[in-house]
Amino acid sequence: MQRQLVMLASSAFLATSGAVLAHHSFAMFDQENPIELEGSVQEFKFTSPHTFIILTVKQEDGTTQAWSLEGAAPSALVRDGWSSKTLKAGDELKLTIEPLRSGAPGGAWSVSKTKFKDGRPIMVSQ
Amino acid sequence: MICPRSIAAVALATIFLTAAAWAHDETKYPDWSGQWLRAGGIQWDPTKPIGRGQQAPLTPEYQAIFEASLADQAAGGPGNDARYSCFPVGMPRLMSVIFPMEFIFSPRITYILFENNMPRRIYTDGRTWPNDPEPTFAGYSIGQWIDADGDGRYDALEVETRHMKGPRTLEGSGLPLHKDNQTMVKERIFLDKTNPDILHDEITTIDHALTRPWTVTKKFRRERNPTWFENDCSEDNHHVAIGKENYFLSADGYLMPAKRGQAPPDLKYFNRSKY
Repeated sequence: MQRQLVMLASSAFLATSGAVLAHHSFAMFDQENPIELEGSVQEFKFTSPHTFIILTVKQEDGTTQAWSLEGAAPSALVRDGWSSKTLKAGDELKLTIEPLRSGAPGGAWSVSKTKFKDGRPIMVSQ
Repeated sequence: MICPRSIAAVALATIFLTAAAWAHDETKYPDWSGQWLRAGGIQWDPTKPIGRGQQAPLTPEYQAIFEASLADQAAGGPGNDARYSCFPVGMPRLMSVIFPMEFIFSPRITYILFENNMPRRIYTDGRTWPNDPEPTFAGYSIGQWIDADGDGRYDALEVETRHMKGPRTLEGSGLPLHKDNQTMVKERIFLDKTNPDILHDEITTIDHALTRPWTVTKKFRRERNPTWFENDCSEDNHHVAIGKENYFLSADGYLMPAKRGQAPPDLKYFNRSKY
């Protein structure tokens, strides 16, 4: 299945935030080969043990694929100023994620590598 | 005949004596109030990198088990780390305090409450070890308050923990402890001498997977005006353990492979002709 993404070769994008924030190994996500995704939020799940962004990504053939993206725990996000209302369905995002090693549509997302599609940072209260 | 007033007096005296037995002199205890957050990463020894960088003093047998775990994780598997499926981490890994903790003192028990784990009970009533108790992941802890500087106020809690069950690992890399679960953990918990908002836990792990007792010192920083969150691993975990395999839930709730080339689960009990 075709995916609209760009493979990032730069080692500067080696992600550590997913491993740092996890209560368990995040080894199923490929931290050495992050990818870019663009899509709209289908759902922002502000749940334990990890938050999830369900992202609808348009494919080259015009179909859509829903990605299951795991992030930090809600309590960790709140300490960074996020809430359950920070993202809502329909928000257009651009993210650098660590994809599942299997190639299935899943991965890990992080606050520092997530912004609105138009380049605006995610605004949160401090 | 017994005078009703005498009965009432005895009853009142009993109530007051019982209350006095439970009330304790709080001025004898250090101020460990508030929320304590780890002041480092999630690895076991905070001074070294996670995984092989820990340079854990493992026996050759358990070093091989660790290497196999690392190899499985490199392929996308969980290795020895079962925490991804909300399996309890147990002692001593609880004291990595991935999410915050707080201390509650009572005369006979010091409780450690964790945001995302079952609490620890540290019995400080001078009891002896029970005979063959049921093991638990947190183990059975007996502690003693120490007034090291003789100023009339406790400044350290020394704890020994036994009777743990497993399997247990020391960190998310799957750094293993012995399957015989004969682990003994000794701790000395104390405030930093120069900064009262820093707490240290000097933890020594004695285990048959190790060639020697292994001591690490964890550091925690205090948040005096905390906000506490509900953090229950079972709420919406997308990692699914089936047998020795881990899978990941898709956006629409179906199983996806976590490892490249991973086979689907064995469906041998889904024989439609039988059920």
